[in-house]
Amino acid sequence: MKGSLLRLVTIAQNTLTEALRQRVLNVIFLSGLIMVGGSFFLTNLTFQEEFKFLKDLGYAAISITGTLVALMGAAQLIPAEIERRTLHTLLSKPVHRFEFVLGKYLGLIALITIMLGIMSLMFGAVLYVKEQIVLAGLQGVAESEQGRQVIASVLAQSRDPQLLQALALIWAKLAVITAISVFFSTIATSTIFIVCTTLVVYFIGHLQSVARQVWLQDMHTASFLKNSFLAMVAFLIPDFQTYNLIDEIIAGNNIRWGSTLEILTYSVIYVGVALVTASLIFEDREL
Amino acid sequence: MVPIPSEHKAVETIGLSKKFKLQWRRGYFMALEPLDLVVKQGEIFGLLGPNGSGKSTTIKLLLGLLKPSAGSATVFGLKAGSIEARKRMGFLPENPYFPTFLNGLEVLRYYGKLSGLSGKFLEQRMEELLELVDLQESRHRTLKTYSKGMLQRIGLAQALLHDPDLLLLDEPTAGVDPLGSRQIRDILLNLKKRGKTLLFSSHLLEQVQEVADRVAILHQGQKLREGSLADLLEVPEQIQIKLQSEGHTVEEIRKILTDAGISQVEISKPQMKLEDYFIRSLPERKQGGHV
Repeated sequence: MKGSLLRLVTIAQNTLTEALRQRVLNVIFLSGLIMVGGSFFLTNLTFQEEFKFLKDLGYAAISITGTLVALMGAAQLIPAEIERRTLHTLLSKPVHRFEFVLGKYLGLIALITIMLGIMSLMFGAVLYVKEQIVLAGLQGVAESEQGRQVIASVLAQSRDPQLLQALALIWAKLAVITAISVFFSTIATSTIFIVCTTLVVYFIGHLQSVARQVWLQDMHTASFLKNSFLAMVAFLIPDFQTYNLIDEIIAGNNIRWGSTLEILTYSVIYVGVALVTASLIFEDREL
Repeated sequence: MVPIPSEHKAVETIGLSKKFKLQWRRGYFMALEPLDLVVKQGEIFGLLGPNGSGKSTTIKLLLGLLKPSAGSATVFGLKAGSIEARKRMGFLPENPYFPTFLNGLEVLRYYGKLSGLSGKFLEQRMEELLELVDLQESRHRTLKTYSKGMLQRIGLAQALLHDPDLLLLDEPTAGVDPLGSRQIRDILLNLKKRGKTLLFSSHLLEQVQEVADRVAILHQGQKLREGSLADLLEVPEQIQIKLQSEGHTVEEIRKILTDAGISQVEISKPQMKLEDYFIRSLPERKQGGHV
């Protein structure tokens, strides 16, 4: 058990080191940082609109960058091990194949967590600077009741604790995308194939709830083919629509932590199933 | 042939075979015909054959990278490819299949941890092996900047980290210059002295002859011959004599032999091997002697 943990951590660390030394992933990350930082200069609206715009842009940048890193990371790093045959040397050591799959996944999740952390700090700094600028402009009205309300409104916008929930949801979404990408990388070696299939699942995932609804409604009347297809989508594809809660949070709607935790649990279960399946497939793969 | 007791067998394959399915239902390709092979503990065993003869397939089957289509293989009595078997094996792949974004030290630390080593013991072992393969000065360079010979040597170091009893080497000197090749050969001979078993594949016959105790010759997935080099290479009707000439000319020696009634005498001045001559021609510092 202890040995297995050591091997998992070693593979995860090595994956993280490789990813951090990869030019492509660093360029994607830097672009994301520029997008988050640049959002500061793109606003010239009322302060309510400004904060909404900043949050929209900032979270979109974090989400897109994270998705690209999750997609490219898994699609590049695992097939590269197989193509370059470094996997032969690795598996000549007393390492279980599932440890390789899990280690790679954990390394990528560590990378995504670090990137998400840095981008969130950057975004927090952008919000703070904007808040200070807006507050400086309100110095004259601070004495009046209306002024105090405006200041409270600014602080509520810039220091909204629900933003942490949105970050947790982005992280969970990226964890699921990475798991899907890792799954496909255990059955294929082409980066383009893995990226494309993961994207297809991602897009279908946005229609999963519709497919599920239609399947449940028409189960007894629909043809076998239609039923099978809808059931397959409903069972195998994750419901990416559920992460749209992020938009609600950014719009300022009140979302319970309970709802966020439900989605996090759903994500963890999906990731678990995807990784177990990937490990089982990889166990029988000839190298 | 005298049967080998099972406790003396490092590797045993019984009817081990591998066929690959061809795409689009075009049938199968037989990469390895049923192979019976025994490698004794403490010997250097060479798998010889041209490309596509089944050497690498055999090694991959022993490592568990491929699953056999039929037959079985054991390593020290353990199922080949199992975690327990791999704990007792070290592997040097044919080409430098290592993470090139790491430097020499990082690569050894990475593979050391995967082999179950850690802490001071691992650090000490890394130092010993860097010295053994003569790469102390290149330890902080990334593997991208290593030559083929250096990569083979760091590969040998990673294979030896956990002090395995059996070393599998896939073409260990392919593409390596004569000096690097001799360094690797010396390390292998040194390991044999320490009681390690070595199984290696090669198509460089002269180098195999220098180190192997026994060989098996494979061709198109079939074992054609197997035996000790002394038995396989002996020419039964001929005797080779090497003598110190001490002033005698070739003609005088030929006359002595023909006068004694020996026919078909072939006499020539012995020549050193080109590899020996090449290494002697290099400056002394480069000749090594690191083992």
